[in-house]
Order: sequence, then C-alpha cells, then structure tokens
Amino acid sequence: MYDVIVRGGLVVDGSGGPGYLGDVAIQDGKIAAVGRIEGGAHRFVEAEGRVVAPGFIDPHTHFDVQLLWDGAAKPALEHGITCVVPGNCSLSLAPLRAADRQRVIGMFQQIEEMPPAAFTEAFDWTWEDFAGYRAAIEKSLSVNVAPLVGHSVIRLWVMGADAQERAATADEIAAMQVMLRECLDAGAVGLSTSFVDVDENGRPVPSRFAQFEELDALSEVLGEYGRMLQIVPEFYAIDITIARIDQLAELSLKHNIPTTFSPVFDSTATPDNVARTMARVEEQFARGARVWPQMQTRPIDISFSLLRPSLFFARLPRWVRILRQPLEARIAALRDPETVEKMVADLGPDGGERMMGRLVVRGGDGAPAELTGRTLSDIARDRGEAPALALINLSLEHGLDVAFLNANAGHEVTERIGPMLAHPLVHIGASDGGAHLASFSTYGDTGYLFSEFVRKSGALSLEQAVAKITAETADIWGLKDRGRLETGKAADIVIFDAATIGRGEERPAFDMPGDGMRYVRAATGIDTVLVNGQVAYAAGAYSDARAGVICV
Amino acid sequence: MTSEAVIIGAQIVAGHDGSAELLVRLRHPNGAEGPVVLDEATGLMLMKTCGATHVDELTGQSWRRIVEGL
Repeated sequence: MYDVIVRGGLVVDGSGGPGYLGDVAIQDGKIAAVGRIEGGAHRFVEAEGRVVAPGFIDPHTHFDVQLLWDGAAKPALEHGITCVVPGNCSLSLAPLRAADRQRVIGMFQQIEEMPPAAFTEAFDWTWEDFAGYRAAIEKSLSVNVAPLVGHSVIRLWVMGADAQERAATADEIAAMQVMLRECLDAGAVGLSTSFVDVDENGRPVPSRFAQFEELDALSEVLGEYGRMLQIVPEFYAIDITIARIDQLAELSLKHNIPTTFSPVFDSTATPDNVARTMARVEEQFARGARVWPQMQTRPIDISFSLLRPSLFFARLPRWVRILRQPLEARIAALRDPETVEKMVADLGPDGGERMMGRLVVRGGDGAPAELTGRTLSDIARDRGEAPALALINLSLEHGLDVAFLNANAGHEVTERIGPMLAHPLVHIGASDGGAHLASFSTYGDTGYLFSEFVRKSGALSLEQAVAKITAETADIWGLKDRGRLETGKAADIVIFDAATIGRGEERPAFDMPGDGMRYVRAATGIDTVLVNGQVAYAAGAYSDARAGVICV
Repeated sequence: MTSEAVIIGAQIVAGHDGSAELLVRLRHPNGAEGPVVLDEATGLMLMKTCGATHVDELTGQSWRRIVEGL
C-alpha cells in the first residue's frame, strides 16, 4: 500500500526524454515507482490530461526573510516551485551577530524592498550562526530550501565594520574559511558574492572589498565540499562580465567547483552581448570549467512615477527640466496650464498616444484601485484627455504617487530569447523571487517559460523546458535527491495543464508584514504541487502540509 | 584622435531592477568602442552634469562627466 499514487498523467520525468502515460507512486516522501502501477494507496491524485513533472527549482531567490513567516515562499509554490535557493548576491541572514543586524537589514532592504515591519514584527531573531537560522526556518517549511551563505555577512562576521572599508588580512581570510566550513556543515549549498550591490546608503556591500586572494581562499573551501560559487558580475559592462567569466573559470578549474553568474539578459540596444557572453562560456566549458550563466525568462519592464525624476522622459527636454525640480516646484509647474500645454505639445499631434498610450497604471500606490491594470490610452479616452495630459492630471490628483508601467521594455523579443534559453549551457534562473517587492513581480517565470517558449514560439519542447528547470538545475547545484521522477528520489511533483500553464497579470498585494505592498502574479494551469510526498497546494489552495526540508 | 574616451551616443534601456537606465557608448583613444550601462540615478546625474535635457546632447562629452556626478 503506497501513501500516494499520482494516476494517469503524462509523465515528463525531468530527463528530457519523451513524456509517457503513467503513474507515480509515493512512499515515505520518496518516489517508490514510476510507470503502470498496480496496487492500492491511501490517496490517489488523478492526473489524467495533465503533465506530471518533478517540482521546479528556482536557483536565484531572496526569500531569506520571508521564509521566517511564510514557509511556502508564496506565491512561488503555487507556480510549481518546490525548491528555492535563497542567500544570493552575497547576502544571507546568517552568520550574523546581533550587533550587525541593522547593517544587514539595510542591505536587504536595498535589494528586497521589504518593509521595515518585516524585520521588527514578523519574527524573533533567535540565531546568530547559520545552524540557528536553519533551525528557525525549517520548522515550518512547505517548500524545500537550498540556502547559500553570503560572502558579505561572512566578511562582516570576521571583520566587523572594516568589512566595508578594506581588504582582509591573511588571518581574517583564514577566519572566513573557518566560518564558511561551519556554514557548509550546517547545510549551506554554496557561497554567494557580488561585485555590484550596494547598501541603503549607496555604499558597496562588504564582498566588493575582497581581493582575489580572499575569493580564491573561500573557493578552496567550496572545493572541499564540491559546492557552488554564485556571483553577480558587473553586468552593466560586457567586457568586465567576460573578464569575470574567465575569473570564475579559473576558480572552477582550480578548486573543481561549479560556478554561476547572473543576471544575463538580452537587449536590442546591445544585441551582441549575450552572444559574446555565451561564446566565452562555451570556451571555458570546453576547458573543463563550469561557469553557468543564469538567464531569466520574463521580459524586463520599466516603471516610474512623477514623484522622482526618471530617464523615461530623457527624450523630452521640457519634461526633464520640469521633473528635475524639487517636489514643490515640480507640482507648481505641473499645475500651470500654460506649462502643461507646452508639455503635451512636445509629444506631437497624437498627444502622447504613441509614447505613453500603452503605459499601464500599476496600483499599490496612490492610484485608485479601479484604475489598476488599465492602459493610459484607455483612461485618457474616458477622461477626454490626451494621454500625456491624463498622465499629468492623474498624477496630480494623487500626489504624484501613481506608478506607470512600460511593459516588455527589455529582454522581450521572444524570437531572440527562445534559442538562448534552449542553449544547453544556459541555466534558467535569475527570478530574484522575494526581491524588488515594490518594483515588479518576480513570480511566474516558470509559467512564462511554458506559455511563451513552449506553446507560443516552440523554442523548447515540453520535455526540454521541464528538464531545464528540474533535473538540469539539480545537477548544476548538486541537489542529488531532486529534479527527477525516479525511484528513490524525493517526491517533489507538480501536476499541470500543458495547454494553460502560465502566469497571471501583475497585481499589487498587501500581504507583507505591516500591510506592506508587493507585486505578485498568480499561477495558471497548476493543479497540484507535492513536496516530499505531501500535497502542499491543490485546486487553488495551500494545504497545512509542512513537508519542506533543507535540501543538500 | 582624442586623448580620452568620449561619449558617442546614448539611449534609454530597461534596467535589471525595473527602472529606465542609460546605455552610453564610449569611443576610446585607440578607436575601440564599447557600451556601458548607467543606473537611473547615475544616468540622470550625467545629464545634469552635462546640462543635457535630451540624451542626444550627451554626444561628444568626455567620459569623465560620468564619474564627476558620482
């Protein structure tokens, strides 16, 4: 008698091989059998007409804080994500001395945009070391977690405030090695570092003060465990990124470790960047190095409001001059009919329809809820105004606190992105789940993979797409029990409708501590998600199951 | 040939963090050309430093203007 049998679905097992009709039996949280299964079970999950696949793995998240009160990392789990990797970009919540918490909170708020209440009301700080953080999150996990430890916090632990001032001494580097070993022994799956990130004051995070000797010494420790080094390279300059690829390759070869870097994204303004990146990655893989570029599936959107100057208007000199003024003067100018008439005239005879008409009101700010998700063109028509005038007036009516979204402004050309995602050396990831909360939704990238690049463009087959975000991800990260529907593997399973899996529209949600706002997307086409054999999500609702583990 | 890198063009691009960013193309003294992307704050500061109200007005400016505003 099995615990669960998932019956009659199209089994896409993560290997990349053709799907086949079959069943999956589960016993004690593990997959007990796959194929045509006879026999009974305490529970049957009907999957006829659905795909049965390994749970998806999200290798680049910042759920470190959210996991302390939300063990499902919502809404990631309902998108079919059964394992998340937090602790990216040099930042984790351990090891961290009590005296250094405020400093690291500032760094997290810069990346995650988490409201302050998240750090003061939502949980008790019960730990300083990595094992303590692990204990704090693992008691109520619905999703599996494969945590990275951040270079910046290790540095802070060893060097104190000097971590953000100078290079480390030999003794300090040795102490960091000891601390990294301790974290890896406590369940960290690797080390993250960043050459880009800043704290809330614009100061470089501690990892950016490290010299190569320090990174080399820490990579030596990763080599003892065969664990991952994740970095954020200077992605704003392609030549520096390529130099970082070479540096990662040397570390990978010298210490026999996997490495990964992100973000990698396409822009029609720099159409050769991804090709140059991949050419170097291919060269380094040919040498035996493992340097995995992480690429997101979703397009990049631009958002802005008139509360702050934005480069969105950088081709409109009058708008630049006006929006550059201090707030009071800016509002006064926007209330002056003569000035506004000239501003609207700057957009040409269509009143801004071409440049601004497709902007979407985002919501979650001063804008009335009924306008959320509507285009400026639509709103302007209702108001009997030109789009540019509607943008100004709508902003004025709500204290300028109305955010507009210019969707699909980068990494948006499906015909270009599809073949990139299908490249065997491209690691699909970089979702940033749990970060950029007030800027855009970081959820639904897996659904978008299937809707846009499997169904719409056909750049990947269903089986290829599943393999990319399950078995291949598990292999890259050395997550031995995950990513495949095979006997003996963990029973992390997602059941979905291949015809409808996708992501919903972006919408504001006020579910952060202190009624804090974030942008989210619901999942479409996901029927059921099992984590370690237990149903964690089904028919649109989360269960009480807490079967998630720290997975290594 | 100039003795330092100069801006030969600029355009608005979508940034990883969801803001509009400024892609600046530089031509170096040896003739090599390459892009660098400035985040929104740095891009706005560059425009202000150069007294520019349109991105096209950045053309011909020294690369040093980029760091002056930092």
